[in-house]
Amino acid sequence: MQITGAEFVQAMKYLAAGICMGIGAIGPALGEGRIGASALEGMARQPEMANTLLRNMIIADAIAETTGIYSLIVAIMILFVV
Amino acid sequence: MSSEIGRDLVWRVPVGPWAIALNPLTLAAALGVALGLVLLGLWLRRGIPADPEAPPSRRLVLLTAFLEFVERQILGAMEEGIKRALLPFVATLFLFVLASNLAPLLPLPGLVAPTRDLNVTLGLALLVYALCHLYGIRVKGLWRHGKSYLEPLPVMLPMNLVGDLGRTLSHAFRLFGNILGGSIMLAVIFPVLVDLVLRFRWILGVLLLLVGALALRALARRGKARAFRVLGLLWLGALALFVVHIWVPLVWAAPAAFLVGTGAGVILNFFFGVFSGTIQALVFTLLAAAYIQMAVE
Repeated sequence: MQITGAEFVQAMKYLAAGICMGIGAIGPALGEGRIGASALEGMARQPEMANTLLRNMIIADAIAETTGIYSLIVAIMILFVV
Repeated sequence: MSSEIGRDLVWRVPVGPWAIALNPLTLAAALGVALGLVLLGLWLRRGIPADPEAPPSRRLVLLTAFLEFVERQILGAMEEGIKRALLPFVATLFLFVLASNLAPLLPLPGLVAPTRDLNVTLGLALLVYALCHLYGIRVKGLWRHGKSYLEPLPVMLPMNLVGDLGRTLSHAFRLFGNILGGSIMLAVIFPVLVDLVLRFRWILGVLLLLVGALALRALARRGKARAFRVLGLLWLGALALFVVHIWVPLVWAAPAAFLVGTGAGVILNFFFGVFSGTIQALVFTLLAAAYIQMAVE
């Protein structure tokens, strides 16, 4: 089977999008895990602070998630825009 | 399928030498959501009793509960004056983003979440950015607000400017990426899940029959004869259905696909639509309030 240049580029795009998303998901996952663990520790120690902690946890999660969202957007751009 | 995800319908309107890209689906959905919220607001206002001494009506209680939720959970520990000024904007922002995220749950053809479009989320983020400056100038004065860009050192001015840009961009991209990613996951997982469940449905059947048999044994041991008889008949019926199902797959394929598709759709939509949409609306509004608070302090 002969592989044309366009097919090769398309295959590389799929590969690039997969690698981009896969590696990009590692950081936010580790970060959100740490945030969640610390928040749960804090809630277990001081249950009356649970509401405040939950709110701050969601904000911190959203910020930790940012790089993952960037890699998602880059992956989508590789797949559909470029 | 991939052709549906990447390319939305776009109108190109020529204006002089440029062309403006309009996304009619997004525009219609955003205007629809806004109109729905306006109508909801009018409906809620009609239910407020004119006499402040009168006992509160249901709609008034609903409205108060919502505003108190926004005030306590989103605005949190801000100053009283700025809180009062921000409450209408933040509550509206939360409702709009929430309704936009949840809009595709309505079974209308062509209805997409307006927040699935970067233009909408970027517009909202720019609105929040403009409000940051507005409240910063109003509370601290033009001089002190401008000086905050030179802190801690005047050398940090480019850093502060880039920080502003990155903050606004990430604010917009976060909502956009989450909603778009959710809708892609939904489109990818749904057919796969339905296919898997349909292909291995006999395993589900065997598991259900096994659980039923165990339950029947427990009933027999406790001596509940009547329940045992009724449930035993049901179990035999299920067994017969299962045998027919395995033997004549064609007869059962369509109803089974319908049931499985409905179940999978409900579960997936609940997670990627309701849960994720609500969390993201909350996050967007919380961050907007946090940015404005940072600009004010």
